[in-house]
Amino acid sequence: MTEQTDHSRRNFLYVAAGGLGAVAGGAAAIPFLGSMLPAADTLAAATTEFDVSTVVEGQLVVIVWQGKPVFITNRSDEMLTRLDGHDDNLKDVNSEAIEAVQAEWMDTPEKRKTRSINPRYLVVVASCTHLGCIPLYKPSAGRAEWGDSVPSDWVGGWHCPCHGSFYDLSARVINGSPAPHNLHVMPYKFISDSVVLIG
Amino acid sequence: MLESMMKTKLFAWVDRRTGAEAIIKSQLTEYPAPKNLNWMWVFGAIAMTVLVLQIVTGIFLAMYYKPSAMETLGGFSVAFDSVERIMRDVNFGWLLRYTHAVGASMFFLVVYIHMGRGMYYGSYKEPRELIWIMGVVILLIMQGAAFFGYLLPWGQMSFWGATVITNLFGAIPVLGDLIGQLLMGGFSVGDPTLNRFFSLHYLFPLLLVAIVAGHIHALHTVHSNNPDGIDLDQSDPNNVVMFHPYVTMKDAFAVSLFMMLYMYIVFFNPQMGGYFIEVDNYVPANNLQTPAHIAPVWYLTPWYTILRSFEVKLVGIAAMGASLAILFVFPFLDRSKVRSARYRPMYRGMVILFFIDVIVLGYCGHTATTETLKVVGQIATFYYFAFFIGLLFLPKIEKTKPLPEGV
Amino acid sequence: MKLNTILLSLATAGMMLTSNVALASGGGHVLKHANVDVTNQEQLLRGLTVFSDVCMGCHSAKYITYKGLMAYPELGISRELADELRGEKPMMSGMITDLSPADATESYGKIPPDLSLIVPGRRGGVDYVYSLLTGYAHDHNEKVPDGNYNTYFPGNSIAMPDPLGWLDHDAEDTAELEQQAEDVSAFLAFIGDPHQNERRAMGKYVLGFLLLLTIVLFLLKKEVWKDVH
Repeated sequence: MTEQTDHSRRNFLYVAAGGLGAVAGGAAAIPFLGSMLPAADTLAAATTEFDVSTVVEGQLVVIVWQGKPVFITNRSDEMLTRLDGHDDNLKDVNSEAIEAVQAEWMDTPEKRKTRSINPRYLVVVASCTHLGCIPLYKPSAGRAEWGDSVPSDWVGGWHCPCHGSFYDLSARVINGSPAPHNLHVMPYKFISDSVVLIG
Repeated sequence: MLESMMKTKLFAWVDRRTGAEAIIKSQLTEYPAPKNLNWMWVFGAIAMTVLVLQIVTGIFLAMYYKPSAMETLGGFSVAFDSVERIMRDVNFGWLLRYTHAVGASMFFLVVYIHMGRGMYYGSYKEPRELIWIMGVVILLIMQGAAFFGYLLPWGQMSFWGATVITNLFGAIPVLGDLIGQLLMGGFSVGDPTLNRFFSLHYLFPLLLVAIVAGHIHALHTVHSNNPDGIDLDQSDPNNVVMFHPYVTMKDAFAVSLFMMLYMYIVFFNPQMGGYFIEVDNYVPANNLQTPAHIAPVWYLTPWYTILRSFEVKLVGIAAMGASLAILFVFPFLDRSKVRSARYRPMYRGMVILFFIDVIVLGYCGHTATTETLKVVGQIATFYYFAFFIGLLFLPKIEKTKPLPEGV
Repeated sequence: MKLNTILLSLATAGMMLTSNVALASGGGHVLKHANVDVTNQEQLLRGLTVFSDVCMGCHSAKYITYKGLMAYPELGISRELADELRGEKPMMSGMITDLSPADATESYGKIPPDLSLIVPGRRGGVDYVYSLLTGYAHDHNEKVPDGNYNTYFPGNSIAMPDPLGWLDHDAEDTAELEQQAEDVSAFLAFIGDPHQNERRAMGKYVLGFLLLLTIVLFLLKKEVWKDVH
């Protein structure tokens, strides 16, 4: 009966047109939403190269990576010795609490202590894990240079001015700080003896 | 789908508070459309589609576009750089921009055909005069939006096009200087001009949406004209079909076919040989050097020819203004009782010649002037006005054919 | 004649009238045809070499960064090559010439234009660039000095001295010079619109899909209108 077949043909065409129309609508959304994602030049700027040999021994340099501040310190041998001896006073000695504070290359106790690929150069995100302020660099031990802004047993490290968090020279958070975690590490690698590629 | 949606409780809730069902039925699903509408009646729906696409692509482009004429390395500008960033770095930026730039031309193409249909079948006549007049307002706003938009890439054609047009307004007696400064925000086209043009370019499409709504509302009040131009009893099922599914499916097919042409241009020939995106606009604006050949984009060239056809600058400007203004009174110039050109042999010849005339005007405006072309342009300009004036006398001499009883 | 057919023929006539193919912008000479293929990796890479060795002596392509150059699949450039090309410049720098604007003005009387958009920005496009590079000749009227006379440049007097050494080249070098001119034209055509290959590839799918949709809607329209008499 033609009436019957007509109807099924019509319904089929409606469904086909509706389906294709939905596909068209969905496909059209891709370029619009896609355009709102970071553009190629923004992505290209997502990695930063930095020559760490330009950092003077004992000094700190703040660079920008993906619009965020990053600490790069050149730690002297003397400073590295000050990483020991206060493990009891740290919240997360081995940087194991969360993903963001550890990295694949932290595979030995030594590297978990220095938190760096090359022990001398510490590269960490410069945002306090409490509420995102940039901590102040107070590398020397004791109160001689810093007065009572630091505890009496200060081993050297960072002090966040906003809410008084303290970190040691490996940016590990010290007990009693409001900050919950060590400063985050980001992916980086040495692409030559002295150039790091961050990101 | 719509029917099942309208049966839900949620819809009933909304309906009690808005009367949505009655609106949808009277304006969309059960709105009666003449049965004999031909394919020329699809261009309204197509124009709506292009308008929506222009607005949406424009909104997304504005997320990256920066309206600043501040100079950057190599004689470029912040605005030009931001457009190139869209073209090169933004994901699908090239697609959005080409769709938008080609869309401007497609919009005019469709609207010109839509207007031509109205002229041919007498859709501007009583009781649809106001629909036509609102349509002319839409055209003027489109021309404004296109003009403002063309400045934004801050290329050579952007800059010199804007300079020429603002100088045009500057030639108006007494108020000229004031209007020029009002447009430019300075004494020449510059950074303030770019900023305000961007603002207005964003505003005008919103005005367009409002007037299009009025255009459609008025149409639905007096109902569609038809190819025979006769009055139809809208309640007689022998004359009309329901808008849905008959007209909606026809329009959907037409829109889809149109999208094929549109997307073909976007993906395979976006510059359209320099007609849609002009070659000189890939050169950054330089206020010390005019391009060798300067002409407006194709959709403005007919008016440009009218402007150039007169030796005295002011007369040219007046003529150009008159050529647009005369469109407003067009419905009142033509007093013939018969609408469609099908039954008006003389009008039919005149209006077809008018279409050809506008194309000739467009060609003359795009090409560098020669002596011959200048004369051709002047003749075409003469006919442009003669057509409208002639309509005044037409009913006295024209023998119209008998109209059919129904469709 | 119905209005449909009238409009169609009008549109066709209009297109024929207006399609006065972008004639040579040069001194009225018809441009030479450049044999370029923007999908040909070898040609693009040869063009890149000519661009960085010859053109970049004076010209820049500021919209092309070294990092961006590496990102184009059409070129497939390694980090080593990018490092070699950029020298001391950072990865995110555009391909900027070492010639300062002041020095350029002193030597040539003007600042050489940026070449990022030279192909879309000139009438005749890639053919024009190719013709220009191989258009150096002796001026019959001996007004324009050798090296500044170009058959295809508007007005014939060009500030850019013969970059490829076309004038008075040995006959056996013709093929090689033409090849270089074509290669660099191809590269310039590519960077003028770096998404063009992606665009054309995507366009085939978009049009194919739209064709399918159009056919279905056409059948549906016919089906629906069957019961209207």
